[in-house]
Amino acid sequence: MGLRTYLLKRLVHAVFVMFFVVTVVFAAVRSIPGDPARLMLGGDVDTETLNALRAELGLDAPLYIQYLRWLGRLLSGNLGESIRTGEPVLASLAQVAGPTLSIAGLGMVIALVIAVPTGILSAVKRYEIEDYLSTTVGFFGISMPAFWIGIVLILLIGVNVPAIPTFGYTPINEGVVAWLSSILLPAFAVGFPYGGILMRMMRSSMLEVLNEDYIRTAQAKGLPTNLVLFKHGLQNALIPVVTLAGIFLAVVLGGVVAVEIVFGIRGLGRLLIGSINRRDFPMIQGTVLVIAFVFVLANIVVDLLYTMINPRIKYGGGD
Amino acid sequence: MSSRFDADAGKVFGIRTDLLEQFIETVRRDLKAKVGVVIVTLFLFAAVFAPELAPHDPMAQDFIPLSQPALSAETPLGTDSYGRDLLSRLMYGARISLGVGLGAVVFGAVTGVVLGLLAGFYGGWIDDVLMRGVDVMWAFPWLLIAIMLVSIFGQGVWNVVIAVGFAYIDDFARITRGEVLSIREEEYMLAAESVGLGDLEIVFEEVFPNTVAPIIVQFTVLVARAMLAEATLSFLGLGVKPSTPTWGALLGQGRDFITQAWWISIIPGILIMITVLGINLFGDALRDAFDVREVDAE
Repeated sequence: MGLRTYLLKRLVHAVFVMFFVVTVVFAAVRSIPGDPARLMLGGDVDTETLNALRAELGLDAPLYIQYLRWLGRLLSGNLGESIRTGEPVLASLAQVAGPTLSIAGLGMVIALVIAVPTGILSAVKRYEIEDYLSTTVGFFGISMPAFWIGIVLILLIGVNVPAIPTFGYTPINEGVVAWLSSILLPAFAVGFPYGGILMRMMRSSMLEVLNEDYIRTAQAKGLPTNLVLFKHGLQNALIPVVTLAGIFLAVVLGGVVAVEIVFGIRGLGRLLIGSINRRDFPMIQGTVLVIAFVFVLANIVVDLLYTMINPRIKYGGGD
Repeated sequence: MSSRFDADAGKVFGIRTDLLEQFIETVRRDLKAKVGVVIVTLFLFAAVFAPELAPHDPMAQDFIPLSQPALSAETPLGTDSYGRDLLSRLMYGARISLGVGLGAVVFGAVTGVVLGLLAGFYGGWIDDVLMRGVDVMWAFPWLLIAIMLVSIFGQGVWNVVIAVGFAYIDDFARITRGEVLSIREEEYMLAAESVGLGDLEIVFEEVFPNTVAPIIVQFTVLVARAMLAEATLSFLGLGVKPSTPTWGALLGQGRDFITQAWWISIIPGILIMITVLGINLFGDALRDAFDVREVDAE
């Protein structure tokens, strides 16, 4: 199978997944107890007003009609409006994308900066002090909830280093330094647990590669150890790590939701939790869909990266 | 491959004793494994005997909020913002953590193992349909699944158990299917078929015992992750009922008093960390003992 066929197959799969997600989200949100129209009007209302609003919202149509209408609107890029503020869902999402993406992005960078060197070091110096130190840090990383790391950071750093804010978010157009310092602590809280998982993977993957014949051959040829490690070892050890980068996005995103609450940042997490508390169904639907969409997209990008760093891959071979 | 079925291995009530022996051997050898076993034992002890061990009623209020700092004789770990004894609340909280952690993974394991056995054993279109479904779940952030399920079905222990456990179905399905495929063609399977054992008999008598080792390892690792997930949901106010003392909820309540009473947030957090660390060490020891490779799907 050629690259083009493979990509096409991947794309068809992605469309299938998105269709599935859209359907599940529709079904899920419709099974939340409570009539949206009644919730919008609150308290005591006469049946006439209620029915008028239900008609306006299209809630009086049979469920499959509602579903088809919803699909149609989605295809034209319309996610609907909030039943609380009347604001378009897409606009609200665009507003909160900045902080969430900034934190997630810097968090992933921090994780990589922690994980790749310590993972390699602990594999190369297996059963030595460097290995024990690195694996201990990794163990702590995977054992702490991100939001708790955030609280500890506020208590330790926020109180002692007033230059680093512990509340709110400064957009990048108000100064790069202000932006960075506003997301530094949340990003660390998100990145550290992710770094722990990544470090353990990096270590076991590197250990496996170090045992391969080609590394031994290279060493036997008398190539300098560092050259062998970086030229032959690292590239191969990174393959399984990259393969799973899409999955790790789940870890990071899960962390961001709670960490945003800790640092009082108006991001995707706060929007989602707030919408659930306010029973703002279109907003919940929209948020979940956009996150799922980003996910599917990220997994495709990961697949492409994977084929790039591993030229020997057989497209569509064993799953 | 010590995790492979060993014809000479003893069985007690149908449970393979060779795995237990391997585990004891690992614990004897490895300091990290010892630490893990100690932490897990202490945690289980506190959770099971909370009603007997707790010095105070976890719900009893003092009405002098924040009156007790940490480390007083009456309340060794201080009190929360309503003046309730933190140590007692944490002990009862351990029951929720343990219950939800185990419950969620049992739900994920039972569902996933059944799907994996079916997919691996029958292959063909059954395999295709089941594993495509699992693929879709794989591409979805667990927290979203949990948040959505809790917001649909409401809060409560069982809903949190299912909401958290849902995300683990695919892990077990994948492992089980992989193991089934790798042992299907081995001789004892062909032998079982040739002596006319039925499908179900083959699955439970021959296939299942061979998948036990990797499943036990994954089970342990996921209990740790389920406890973190429960803590996160409780912290977000989407866990079991708000009045129930859970570690995540205690931590969340303490956040508002972080500068006046740091212990309300910090102590539950340390407890979560140590317990999860202990279970992870325990899981690593099992992995070493059973010689199971780190599962790629983290």
